Amino acid sequence: MHEYAVTESILEIVKAEVRQAGGGRVSMITVVIGELTSFASESIEFYFETLARGTVAEGAWLEFRPLEAIASCGGCGGSFTPGPRHVLLVCPDCGSAAYDFVQGKEFYIESIEVSA
Amino acid sequence: MKIEVKKNVLQNNDLAAARNRSRLAGKRTAMLNLMAAPGAGKTSAIIKAIEGTRDSRALAVIEGDITSEVDSLAIEALGIPAIQINTGGSCHLTASMIGAALDHLDLDNLDLIIVENVGNLVCPAEFDLGESARVTISSVAEGHDKPLKYPLVFREVDAVVINKTDLMPYCDFDLAFFRDAVERLNPDAHVLRMSCRDGSGSEEWCRWLMNSVV
Ligand SMILES: Nc1nc2c(ncn2[C@@H]2O[C@H](COP(=O)(O)OP(=O)(O)OP(=O)(O)O)[C@@H](O)[C@H]2O)c(=O)[nH]1
Ligand SMILES: [Mg+2]
Ligand SMILES: [Zn+2]
Repeated sequence: MHEYAVTESILEIVKAEVRQAGGGRVSMITVVIGELTSFASESIEFYFETLARGTVAEGAWLEFRPLEAIASCGGCGGSFTPGPRHVLLVCPDCGSAAYDFVQGKEFYIESIEVSA
Repeated sequence: MKIEVKKNVLQNNDLAAARNRSRLAGKRTAMLNLMAAPGAGKTSAIIKAIEGTRDSRALAVIEGDITSEVDSLAIEALGIPAIQINTGGSCHLTASMIGAALDHLDLDNLDLIIVENVGNLVCPAEFDLGESARVTISSVAEGHDKPLKYPLVFREVDAVVINKTDLMPYCDFDLAFFRDAVERLNPDAHVLRMSCRDGSGSEEWCRWLMNSVV
């Protein structure tokens, strides 16, 4: 449900970046979504189609790049990748449950492809 | 032409949250973000917190609901300032909504602001409000598997309150399973048991608030 506001925010950033770059039409927006977040790319696409109408980003392709979660273990200092299907786990090397995620909560616009 | 952007999609919210956080730190006012499913007992737990801490702490409450003033009226009836935010359909509070609400509170004379987020176990966890502490409530009738199904919120909080323990005899809530799941997701989280109905555990809840939050 919050994807509406999120899509508005994406558009706002894109419009400002294009303005700063001197204008043009946006053909592609690359968005990085960490797998620990709850943003649904299908909903963003859905809202984008409507919200982008009449803007420099109308019809642009949204490229979503998922970023896997990486945990750093407090027990042995190693790091591991839990995978999206396993929320509860222990370090495969030492069995410790004291881990912190060092990657996977990201949600940012990586780049915009603009044509004149 | 490719423009490298590298900008956080939630940057506006994060900026507003940072503003709220420094404003509150400047006033030495703590803010607690309470997130839980609809009906888990957020308002009831806030009322317990008011009853148990009001003698020594100056409190205010910010109520987030899609619509209605039911919750803020309940708090005001206790003589505690309450600001109602109606999100008008949005499933979570944002930092700028909180910023606007703070304008209506006497921050110089407040120790703690409790924010009741919109009843929802998913979206609120994604939006920093500028709070100094986060709590989630799980009521036993919701089932012991909630940490597995909604890991984000359980991972982000300082404390997990298990509410409605008076209903234990009527539910198949597996306390050990729940505790183990929380422990693995968030070993630092403090887990408390409470019944807002019979009052058990509310002393510990208030003690935790006064020791760890404000
Ligand atoms: N049996 C029992 N009922 C409770 C307990 N705590 C709250 N309730 C009841 O559960 C219902 C919901 O409680 P609220 O405190 O309004 O829950 P909430 O999370 O604020 O709900 P929303 O704001 O609508 O999301 C009310 O009817 C409460 O009386 C409890 O410990 N035991
Ligand atoms: Mg409520
Ligand atoms: Zn390890």
